[in-house]
Amino acid sequence: MANLSVNLAGISLQNPTVLASGIMGVSSSSLKFVEENGAGAVTLKSIGPTERPGHKNPTVFAWREGIQNAVGLSNPGIENSIEKITTSVTQLDIPVFGSMFADTIDNFKRVGEKMASTGVAAIEVNLSCPNTEDDFGRMFALDTKMTSDLIKAVKSVVGDIPIFAKLSADSSEIVEVGKAAEAAGADAITAINTISGVVIDINMKRPILTNKVGGVSGPAIKPMGVRAVWNLYNSVKIPIIGTGGINTGEDAIEYIMAGATAIGIGSGVYYRGIDVFKKVTEEMSRFMEENRYKSVEEMRGIAHKAS
Amino acid sequence: MKQIDKPLALPIQKIITESERVKTFVFEYDFPGGPGQFVMCWIPGFDEKPFGIIKKDGEGFRISVAAVGESTKAMHMMEEGDLLGFRGPYGSVFTLPEDGKKIAMVAGGYGMVPLSYLAQEARKKEYEVHLFIGARNKQELLFKEWMAEIGALVHASTDDGSEGYKGFNTDLFKSNAENETYDKVYTVGPEIMEMKIAQICWEKNIPFEVSLERYMKCGFGICGQCSVDPTGWRMCVEGPVIDGEALKKIAEFGKYHRTASGEVQKYPWIKE
Repeated sequence: MANLSVNLAGISLQNPTVLASGIMGVSSSSLKFVEENGAGAVTLKSIGPTERPGHKNPTVFAWREGIQNAVGLSNPGIENSIEKITTSVTQLDIPVFGSMFADTIDNFKRVGEKMASTGVAAIEVNLSCPNTEDDFGRMFALDTKMTSDLIKAVKSVVGDIPIFAKLSADSSEIVEVGKAAEAAGADAITAINTISGVVIDINMKRPILTNKVGGVSGPAIKPMGVRAVWNLYNSVKIPIIGTGGINTGEDAIEYIMAGATAIGIGSGVYYRGIDVFKKVTEEMSRFMEENRYKSVEEMRGIAHKAS
Repeated sequence: MKQIDKPLALPIQKIITESERVKTFVFEYDFPGGPGQFVMCWIPGFDEKPFGIIKKDGEGFRISVAAVGESTKAMHMMEEGDLLGFRGPYGSVFTLPEDGKKIAMVAGGYGMVPLSYLAQEARKKEYEVHLFIGARNKQELLFKEWMAEIGALVHASTDDGSEGYKGFNTDLFKSNAENETYDKVYTVGPEIMEMKIAQICWEKNIPFEVSLERYMKCGFGICGQCSVDPTGWRMCVEGPVIDGEALKKIAEFGKYHRTASGEVQKYPWIKE
């Protein structure tokens, strides 16, 4: 096995695969199950200020190229989640990243402060859920000023814990937003969140999801994810967790060559099973051995050197 | 045939009224799926819910629905030709024993849906099938006639004594199991009933399988909503059919489940 270890904003990962937020992150047991299946780190499902049941089903469906969801940030609220997060941190041997969302900067601070007390290795700030506009208004990640204000505010309450800004390709300004997040003190960027879409069932004559609009993930969005990482890599110095449509080791390496330090896997759990983390790392290792790469670092951003 | 993960709109071919509360919806489409598996049924404008399927010989498939909530009441208002959306089948299937040909099934309420399908398959392979059906009253004893037709031995029990044994089917099964030897037992129903059957089977060392119901969202193993403690097994992938030995590892069985938000909710019989 090739050496797959990476350093992500000061956090060392045995391999660069990170469970993306929103997948399998409801309980510490399900996260442990992901660890057993080879993940380098896990991200919890986003936690907000209060309990939310999320949208009514249908909330998720899939087809060959993509998954669409509008789960609607279902979560038990930060107060009910502290124990669960602490348990996850204790029970898992790999780094556990928290994830949080809120409607206002004050609520983000409130959730962030509490989450910081749980021992998570980092906190991902979900600035870009595409499925809660009716409840929360436009996503923060569509605006550089809002992103900057929010990151600064969160940074002020979480102490030394690294924070990751999760960005959206729904914004044509993703690079500007990324630069704003970096300037405001973000320690890393997660790119990208799901991309907003609509899928209509023509026999039912209506969108499938109850929320009508929902985030698309999976192979359908991979080129857009790689593009976001590609452009961000040219403009920011902080590491990037490349996420969007990674199912294979080859997909992961593509993101790394575009400039990602670590890679997020979510929909891959659907396309290749819960052991997708093992499969991806094995495939990465095989590619690296065949092509004599000694480290992941050696491949990072390499595609930018092409003339 | 492969799993369908994007809802497939299908017209209702036939509606059968089973009782005051239950209707069966029959579809022509030959949907894949075995006994114990479920489909996610999209009721447009209302909800999407998991239902166990039955594939009767010469039919596509059918689901039986009790009108208990807003969306299932809406289903009861539907007519033949109306559309419902289906994806699946999801989850694990029941397995018949390789050694021995005598099996028992303990069904509470709508647990008869997956178990009747299993009974049909077991009878085709000439298993001796004992069915312990429990319901509130005679009218709610689902599929009794069909089960008798295929040659399953029906041991009915009702809360009000309107048919068969008056009392719980768990008690009826317990006394029956004192004298009978079963090669495998299957149970589906309210979790408190499943718990009692599991206890009996563990004590008597009878192999058994249980179907464990948890709140479902995606159905295909990514959202983590239906993962159980402490194993993390997803009831839509590793479950809902769980082997009796594996069940010992699921500490939350009979104790609590998770609501749509992911919050833990204890069962009413569990004291602080």
